[in-house]
Amino acid sequence: MRVALAEDSVLLRDGLARLLADEGFDVVMQCGDADELMRRLAGHAVDVAIVDIRMPPTHTDEGLRAALEIREKYPGTAVLVLSQYVEIGLAMKLLSDSAEGAGYLLKDRISDVAEFVDAVRRVAGGGSAIDPQIVSKLLSRRRDDDPLAELTPREREVLELMARGSSNQGIADSLVISVGAVEKYVSSIFGKLGLPSTGSESRRVLAVLLFLSG
Amino acid sequence: MVIAIALVATAGTAGTVLLQLASDDGGPDPGLQVSLLAWIILPYVLGGLVAWYRSPESRFGPLMIAAGFVTLVSSLSAANWTPASTLGAAFDLVPFAAFLHVFLAFPTGVLRSRRERILVGAGYAVAVGLQVAGLLLGGIPGNAIVAIDAPGVAADLHQVQLTLMAGFDLIALGVLFGRRSAAGRPLRTPVTILINSYSLSLVLAAVLLLTQAFSLVPDASLTVQRTMFLVAGLAPFVFLLAMLDARLARSAVGDLLLELRSVPPRSDLREPLSRALRDPTLSLAYWLPEYETWADQDGRPVHLPGAGEPRSVTLIDSEGRHLAALVHDPSLDDEPQLLQAVGAAAGIALENGRLQVELKAKLQELEGSRGRVIEAGQKERKRLERNLHDGAQQRLIALSLDLGTYSSKLDEDPETQSRIQVAREEIAVSLDELRAVARGLHPAVLSAHGLGVALESLAADSAVPVKLNVAVEKRLDESIEVAAYYVVTESLANIGKHAQARRATIEVTHEGDELVVEVVDDGIGGADSEGGTGLRGLADRVEALGGRLRVWTPSGGGTRVRAQMPCG
Repeated sequence: MRVALAEDSVLLRDGLARLLADEGFDVVMQCGDADELMRRLAGHAVDVAIVDIRMPPTHTDEGLRAALEIREKYPGTAVLVLSQYVEIGLAMKLLSDSAEGAGYLLKDRISDVAEFVDAVRRVAGGGSAIDPQIVSKLLSRRRDDDPLAELTPREREVLELMARGSSNQGIADSLVISVGAVEKYVSSIFGKLGLPSTGSESRRVLAVLLFLSG
Repeated sequence: MVIAIALVATAGTAGTVLLQLASDDGGPDPGLQVSLLAWIILPYVLGGLVAWYRSPESRFGPLMIAAGFVTLVSSLSAANWTPASTLGAAFDLVPFAAFLHVFLAFPTGVLRSRRERILVGAGYAVAVGLQVAGLLLGGIPGNAIVAIDAPGVAADLHQVQLTLMAGFDLIALGVLFGRRSAAGRPLRTPVTILINSYSLSLVLAAVLLLTQAFSLVPDASLTVQRTMFLVAGLAPFVFLLAMLDARLARSAVGDLLLELRSVPPRSDLREPLSRALRDPTLSLAYWLPEYETWADQDGRPVHLPGAGEPRSVTLIDSEGRHLAALVHDPSLDDEPQLLQAVGAAAGIALENGRLQVELKAKLQELEGSRGRVIEAGQKERKRLERNLHDGAQQRLIALSLDLGTYSSKLDEDPETQSRIQVAREEIAVSLDELRAVARGLHPAVLSAHGLGVALESLAADSAVPVKLNVAVEKRLDESIEVAAYYVVTESLANIGKHAQARRATIEVTHEGDELVVEVVDDGIGGADSEGGTGLRGLADRVEALGGRLRVWTPSGGGTRVRAQMPCG
């Protein structure tokens, strides 16, 4: 799996490249800023680009803009955005059309190698990875007549994992239940929240996030 | 002196009349010719005297008198005594040059440009120089200074001379018209009449000179000459009319005085001044000695137009120091007395206005320095946030990454695994704390993505359900966005701590050219809007941006915080 890295901190970039190489990824490019990334992507087929949000020259949102451009220009390249802050608004911006092949994680997550690698694989495979902090913020958001109050604790757990981008198999593994049980929970949750069932695992991420942030 | 000149002129004119009547060379209708000469000489000399008397510093009066006397001298050409007739003949064309001079120098007596000075100088040179040369060559047989008898050459020379003078007149005509179109606003009516009569006499003079030069229809030449004299003699009357107009303008100064006496004193002086000067384009600047600068009525620095700009400036001084400056249409330069009178009438009101403007300027300076202090603080906070982000936070993440990598390679040692896990959790807590500190220093998401995105996170973190409506699409000045962000942060923090509210709404909208941020809750109200440093600090920040922060917090009626900031 070919990976492109864009991160201005050399320390982190090296660390990430080493980690990914150790895990069997083929790190085909390492860039210090978004312009370099876009330039080098033009001639390369890459499965996933891992992009830091804040990079030179302005250290504001170069990475996010590059990510949106990649999603538009190279549909075959998945994008995983890393940031030291997670912002619901930015996540929604990144996923504005679809959550397929897109991820937005707090930089801290890279230290949990197994989970991080799983997220990279999931995104590269057309799935999504949404930072748990965003999902828990959305879930704990106070609402009038909160429809989440109707969910059982187990359903809340399933909803949380669903929103992070986990597949049914992934949810089943995390909660140590069967995939069939997960499917039942999912349809019950969609029923209680009044959401139409999307069928696809990757499409439901956006539906759930939109519901939670709306 | 005045009486002496008047007497000399009257006597001279009487002499001319007698001289012409006694002349052998009177031409047809000697009576009419004499009256026309008197018609020119007397109004010029007497009109010049009135002008001189009214404004001794102006050179226009003496110039008019000189033109009258030059005409007087030129009429000596009809004398029977050769030296006198030669002198008169030498001055034959000088009145044409003098009229040219008078027309161009109206009303100050001073020519406005080098070009005009060259034109008038050339007029005198051609009128006197070539005339004397012609006389030396025997242009008029039997004159007192014949040196060589070459009447043919003299006649050619005379033709050149007349053609040149006609050309000068036409150029002067062009200058007058050019001046009229350059004036920024229509000139006063009498002045327009004046310029038209000048133009007419210049055209007639040119025609007269050309008919003489090429000996076209001698009878017509006489008619043209007489018409020209008639019109040229009108000019002094028109000049008196213009002076009368200035007198009318002076009554506007009286109205101005009454108007400025109103109670309370007017703060806008531009409008009454503009009315008194009849210049709608007038603008007013005050001198601020402390800042050594000119300022407009709102205390903002302005530049006075310099030389070469199409606006004129009249300074109004009081007790040896600048008070104000009138920036006006250049055509008002022709009425220095009016400008002075208006300046004098407005003196006390202007002094008053100057003090007000000085106060406004100081206030603006104070606001500016408050804004700069806040801005410097903001810049510093931004720098610190950036340092944290690129420094400590980045290093901790890299460290945590290293630990994660080691841990994934240590499958066999659960003891070390769990220690590494604890260390990583410690790092995660540190990172969270650093993030909170950094966010408090400067909300980085705000710089990158604007209010909408930044407020969304705030609303999501709120202790009560929040309805957020950000109806502002475009990015605003960073200082305004930051202030709006802090208004919401502080308000939500207060709601969480004190309000016991069930819900809150945040509205961010444009109203005209203001950004309005309103945070409303349905809590218990009665918030301490004065004692708490939070709201006070917010008010400082908002006011430093020229905005207002208001808090309504009736007991039991919820709290409404509303900030309005100009955002262009």
